[in-house]
Amino acid sequence: MAETQIAFNINGNQEQIAAEPNQTLLQLLRDELGLTGTKDGCSSGDCGACVVLLDGKPVNSCMVLALQAEGSSVTTIEGLAKDGELHPVQRTFGEAWAFQCGFCTPGMLISCYALLESNDNPTREEILRAIAGNFCRCTGYQGVVKAVQQAAAELRATNSSEGAPDE
Amino acid sequence: MSELAIVGQWAASPGAEEIVTGEARYCPDIRLPGMLCGKLLYSPHARARVKKLDVSKAREMDGVFAVLTHADVPGENSYLYAQPDQPLLVVDEVRFQGDAVAAVAARDARTADAALAAIDVEYEELPGVFDPLEAMQRDPDSVMTNQVYRSGDVAAAIASADVVIENTYRTQWAEHAFLETEGGVGLVDDDGGITVYSSCQAPHRDRMQIARALAMPESMVRVITPYIGGAFGAKDEAHVQIHAGLLAHAARRPVHLIRERRESILTHVKRHPFVVEYTTAATSEGKLLAVKARAIADAGPYTNSTHEVLNKFGEFIGGPYKVENIEVEKIGVRTNNPITGAFRGFGAPQAAFVYESQMDDLARQLGMDPLEIRLLNGVETGTKMYTGVVVREGTAMKASLNKAAEMIDWQSRDQLEREPASHLRRGWGVATILKGSGLGRGLSDHAGVMLEMHRDGSVVLHSAAADMGQGITTVMAQLAAERLGVDMASVRVVRADTSKSPDAGGTSASRQAMVSGNAVLEAADSIRNTLLKLAAGKTRIEMDRLDLKAGKLLVDGEPHELSVSDLAQRAGNWGYPLHAESLVHFEYPSDVPEVSYRYSQEVFQFCTQIAQVLVDCETGQVSVERMIAVHDAGKMINPGGVYGQIEGGVAQGIGYALTEELVVQEGHTLNPSLENYVIPMALDIPEIEMEVLEFPEPIGAPLGAKGIAESPIIPTAPAIRNAIYDAIGKPLYELPMTAERVLPIPDGN
Amino acid sequence: MIAPKYTAPTSLADALQLKKESGAEARVIAGGTDLILRMRDRVLSPSLLIDLRALSLGNIVLGDDELCIGTSVSLSQVLENTDTQRLFPALVAACREFAGPPIRNRATLGGNIANASPAADLVPPLGAYDARVVLRSAGGERVLPLLEFFTGPGQSVIEPDEILTEIRLPLMPTLSAATFIKLGQRRSMAISQVNVTTRLSIHEENVVSEVRIVLGAVAPVPMRALAAEQIISGNALSDELLCSAAQKAAEEIMPISDVRASRSYRVEMTEVLVRRALFATRDELGRNATDG
Repeated sequence: MAETQIAFNINGNQEQIAAEPNQTLLQLLRDELGLTGTKDGCSSGDCGACVVLLDGKPVNSCMVLALQAEGSSVTTIEGLAKDGELHPVQRTFGEAWAFQCGFCTPGMLISCYALLESNDNPTREEILRAIAGNFCRCTGYQGVVKAVQQAAAELRATNSSEGAPDE
Repeated sequence: MSELAIVGQWAASPGAEEIVTGEARYCPDIRLPGMLCGKLLYSPHARARVKKLDVSKAREMDGVFAVLTHADVPGENSYLYAQPDQPLLVVDEVRFQGDAVAAVAARDARTADAALAAIDVEYEELPGVFDPLEAMQRDPDSVMTNQVYRSGDVAAAIASADVVIENTYRTQWAEHAFLETEGGVGLVDDDGGITVYSSCQAPHRDRMQIARALAMPESMVRVITPYIGGAFGAKDEAHVQIHAGLLAHAARRPVHLIRERRESILTHVKRHPFVVEYTTAATSEGKLLAVKARAIADAGPYTNSTHEVLNKFGEFIGGPYKVENIEVEKIGVRTNNPITGAFRGFGAPQAAFVYESQMDDLARQLGMDPLEIRLLNGVETGTKMYTGVVVREGTAMKASLNKAAEMIDWQSRDQLEREPASHLRRGWGVATILKGSGLGRGLSDHAGVMLEMHRDGSVVLHSAAADMGQGITTVMAQLAAERLGVDMASVRVVRADTSKSPDAGGTSASRQAMVSGNAVLEAADSIRNTLLKLAAGKTRIEMDRLDLKAGKLLVDGEPHELSVSDLAQRAGNWGYPLHAESLVHFEYPSDVPEVSYRYSQEVFQFCTQIAQVLVDCETGQVSVERMIAVHDAGKMINPGGVYGQIEGGVAQGIGYALTEELVVQEGHTLNPSLENYVIPMALDIPEIEMEVLEFPEPIGAPLGAKGIAESPIIPTAPAIRNAIYDAIGKPLYELPMTAERVLPIPDGN
Repeated sequence: MIAPKYTAPTSLADALQLKKESGAEARVIAGGTDLILRMRDRVLSPSLLIDLRALSLGNIVLGDDELCIGTSVSLSQVLENTDTQRLFPALVAACREFAGPPIRNRATLGGNIANASPAADLVPPLGAYDARVVLRSAGGERVLPLLEFFTGPGQSVIEPDEILTEIRLPLMPTLSAATFIKLGQRRSMAISQVNVTTRLSIHEENVVSEVRIVLGAVAPVPMRALAAEQIISGNALSDELLCSAAQKAAEEIMPISDVRASRSYRVEMTEVLVRRALFATRDELGRNATDG
């Protein structure tokens, strides 16, 4: 089978790796790069457990061929924390019990993180629309709404204090 | 003891950070050196004779390390939940679309697929049995179980009644759809023992089954649960973990066996579909006189938990009501349809759909308010149920009804428009239910933990209670931390490992918070006692004035300079063991006479849900606008977990009510995917308005806490059904209440 | 999945040459949300995958009398584009209800068309706006009305050496409105049980100059309800007219029963949805007229 070398940015690191044409991005991440945080719930794009950011946009990594990630930047759940510090939404997910078994959580967090990057004050409706492709069987979605709104408030507070003009 | 500092407070679960960073390892994430890929070959037919099974070509393939058929199983070739009638690998006849015929272990997935394709198997299709009612009539042997329970004099009660209502109800196969499919990783230890990482609900039972299949002593088998991505009952009985052990044993290499989603839906147990003929007899004032039920469950080909599910169904078919005359016939029929097993509620959701729908039919016939008729008949503390069980704490039954009614403003609900547009109708429906926690009287319901505090005050807790998300790990950490006066972060809960933790029984029947909770309290109290004795000795203050809280010793409620870790250090220096192992049995009072129902549960989860729906009269689509859920937890130990269980259960209940249905034709499942097995998602579920009541369970429950895991899924379907009836005047007797079944809307609506 | 060869050509000419040489053995891939699934299920086993990602087929360009959308434009792009929002709102509405965000970020208009599913959500709105599609080959190009592209479930007129490159949407007459309605079993991640797009263009008070009623999931291909359109065309928009057109539409369809809906439900719902869509379109025309 023909293997091709692809180069892409994964969680801020440049990576060069061999991939096969029939390999999905999900398989590459989990099996070749050891990034098992992203989960396989269905392999058919129906559940969202495999959601990662591809060039900043949430996608089902089971529905992207590895070779299609050439030259792109990919962010997985392992890339949300910076220098050991959890992103606010990771922390608020735990505080608000936005998950129980946690299997849907990596994909769910990526979708929520993407929302927060473009919307600093999301409404309940906007959050539900953002996670409409992420399936959770344990917990429903209210905890997620709560966690995202809490994280948004924290981020607004941080950004406003950082952006405050000097007296 | 002072006020609770940790129990009852919102606390993130001990594993939260692993989960949100992606570090939590589930079975599919386990990587071991030399690990092989395991796969199973499943029958495409619902019923067929295996004419030929030749695996020689597959065995010879390069990169294939083991190929197994029934002949290669060293020990017992059966699942062993109840009857040993489901084979691990089929011997001569496949009995459902999903029976496993062979197992392979190969260097990678591609080779494993090629090995499966190289297996030469020939089937001779046989006529299958797909209609349980027809099967019963044609062949008495197809009846797996037929039990009748009677109490009182039903015939006389019916004869004397003012009103008698009879209806036939039908419920569907439901799929658990946990996010993490079934999986197991088997490996051979250095001394020839077998270790299996198992995504399961009952590690010790898994160990027994794996040992029996391998014809090895249990001492040579170890089962560990990594993180588990949901189960809801389907992983109570074993699935592929035994095969993972068999393959590892045969290949002498670690084997990773994870089902794909389509395989998972086709092969694992489903909720039993029921057909129930139900009769209710009442006075003209609405007082229930008698209940009679004839229930036929489609069991699929194998026994699994059919007896137990029917038993629970019959136990609760009278509802949370004072009913003195009852007759319930419980029939399980063998077919070649999908296999059945445990699913959250375990017969109670089917029962509730029946009795709560019928309550509304009765109320309507008598011109009574649905709330009033339920309050009239509701059980109370001290009520003797038809099963002979006396309700020890029954306040929650009516309290939950009244609270739910208050939350939706039941008396004034009509002030919101019933007809917001010409094609839309709004309605409200209530359902109130009961479910028991614990395995039931007559069964041994026990669990143990091992607890140890180290010199620095840090704590390790070993428990084999499987946490598949429902939160037992958090509950145990909270109870231990509370009693030992330390913070949650100081308690390390080690995930279930049969070589390290005592048997905690299965995670089912809403039992773990109660039984393992008690085990934690007992072990913690033992260590606490040692610490307080040491403190009394050092401070020369009587023990009853001492307490442990927030890492400190308290004297008369005030913090002392001695910390918990000081005391632990002292214990270590002076050789006082801070180590305890407990084994606790859930005891049923022996002073209750006349408990006549087998394995009756006596700790009740009472709850009420009210649904407000909007029906589109032209399309039949039902939108749930509001959902009120009031649940009694006895004592809420872990609020995050309790609310999460309620929300998640209600979401499952909405799916069970409106859209979830395995479509099966001649034993073949037509929608084995998450695309076509329709589960509500974020935009389909309203904000669930929850209230948790706390009426402490007086006997045997830790701090009064009873399990609430199953109750949330139980009242939802009948509440929605009753709301639809209220909206469009059409009673429905079949689940799910899809748009096509809601139509046509009766005239005048 | 069988392992094909994979290439991402950097010019359309190269891609077309490859397609010419490999014919039906090669499949083009854009978002892949349908193709990857079918390859995984072994329904399709191409020996060569031609990835369109390096070609400039991902643009939305507004000209004087038409909007040109490259076939690699994702549904998210269509949703966010101000020209599509303003000029083709029914198409945007269809994109908004399509699957969920992760799918929309990858799925393309071209893919939804090329997949040729009878239930394709985007085809009826495109059809209602009189979309034409451009098929390029090494030998040239042909342009045809979108609705003539489909010949059966999963079947189209595309030749083995052709690639769909562009969708051209003529700008609608000034007094136009369109409505998209989808019936599904849930509000996201749902395949249509029935979907309906209606467009009305009027040139005088209330008299119809152009009408399109395009239906999905009720026939082997997305279809126009021509007889229903006839009832409306050239007439004033009365309630009775719209109701009668809706009834007619339900008579023209050829639906099947499947796991999502029975045949008779689809017939009933076609009348309901066409009626609702027509009334909504008429209402919107009224609003546009008063807005001036």
